[in-house]
Amino acid sequence: MATSRDDFGIAIRSALLQRGAKQKFSLFVLILASILIFTLDNLELRSVKVLRGVINDGIYRLSAISSSPISFASASKSFLSTHLNVHKENEELKKKIEVLEKKSFDTLYLQTENNQLQEVLDLDKTTAYSTIGAKVMLDKNSPYLNSVVINKGSNVGIKLGMPVLSKGNLVGRIVEVNYISSRILLLNDLNSKIPAVISPSGEQAILSGIGQKNPTLEYLPDSFQNVDDLTVYTSGKDGVLFPGISIGKIIKDSDDENDNEERIMVKLFSDPTQILYVNVVLDKSNDEEAK
Amino acid sequence: MAINVKGFKDSLLRSLPLIILIYVSISEFQTQFYFWKIFSFNLQFIIIYYWVLRDPSILGYGFIFLCGLINDVVLSLNLGISPLSYLFVSLVAAYIRTATVRSTLISDWFTFVIAIMGGNFITFILIKNFSNVGVNYTDFFYNSLFTFILYPFFWGIFELYKRGISLRVYD
Repeated sequence: MATSRDDFGIAIRSALLQRGAKQKFSLFVLILASILIFTLDNLELRSVKVLRGVINDGIYRLSAISSSPISFASASKSFLSTHLNVHKENEELKKKIEVLEKKSFDTLYLQTENNQLQEVLDLDKTTAYSTIGAKVMLDKNSPYLNSVVINKGSNVGIKLGMPVLSKGNLVGRIVEVNYISSRILLLNDLNSKIPAVISPSGEQAILSGIGQKNPTLEYLPDSFQNVDDLTVYTSGKDGVLFPGISIGKIIKDSDDENDNEERIMVKLFSDPTQILYVNVVLDKSNDEEAK
Repeated sequence: MAINVKGFKDSLLRSLPLIILIYVSISEFQTQFYFWKIFSFNLQFIIIYYWVLRDPSILGYGFIFLCGLINDVVLSLNLGISPLSYLFVSLVAAYIRTATVRSTLISDWFTFVIAIMGGNFITFILIKNFSNVGVNYTDFFYNSLFTFILYPFFWGIFELYKRGISLRVYD
């Protein structure tokens, strides 16, 4: 028994300390170095943060270049499949155009009516934000991480927590800022929690990512009724995001039909897997600027 | 001149596992290679475990450490999490190499479970205690399972590759 324990100790010691013929460092030294780096990174010292920002910028650029073959392969696959389905798509599009033409007349009427009503009620028509456009460099959608890296950073005034829009709808918020790049945590990420308000009922909830395509609504009141055509907006209760940014429509969770507890899912207006260009909201324009 | 070209070719062939490891760490492979909502695997673990076990002269510990740091930056984890996890896998592989006289696929495969479990356990503990990142345990479980299942497949490929370039097994 004692011999067996000795053998184990010798083998472990040898594995940890032996450098071998072509090894420049022993495992023991590198494990110590990893612990040291981990500790320094967790201490969040300013110098370490700056250093990490520089490393991030460099590696994101390299990563974008090295990922290009994979991105090209997926783009080619998508291009081919799109062309194969072009006839079917054409028929569908014709039908859609008919519907949209009808809707455009309806919209025009509603827009006119809305303008008249706003004038009457003297509502705040300011929806303008001062934003900065950015391009998505890296798309990291996986079960562990739903975030994207954009090509703008603190050099243009981006700060932590700023909301990010795609086609005018919220897609996420800034969680990491480097000098020339930033990371956006998408709404469907496991760590994303956004205070939201449901329109027109006005109920408050928390929009939580669950690692799937659509996020869910949590902390809804018991009296909440899931009816059609409910839209979700930011409530701005956290004091970080601006209120009234459109997020998506409420849908029923089709995956968990057998589940006793029905989840309220939100279909996002801007598909987080399809974004290429985004607008980072730097500030909300004041009323005068918007007018 | 001919000797130099041959030397360069040999050196390039011997460095291929390292090049693949660096590429996998730096590229979007880990996040892009994800199908049917459950299928993903950790190629870094497989490469590190196999080459440290079968021929450590191919894959230096320093490079493994560096690839871990790159992976942390790409995945936005706290620096040091992946290096510790990868070095643990290397430690298990180095221990198995020292403790066993003759390794076979079966023995490699089953000891790989310890490396996967330990490596992922380190990642879990560090993320849970020192980071705000949330972890989906089911997906991590599937990732570990497929990493384990696919090991013999990569073992076969690497064995053929090793024989193909006539590498001598480290003693």
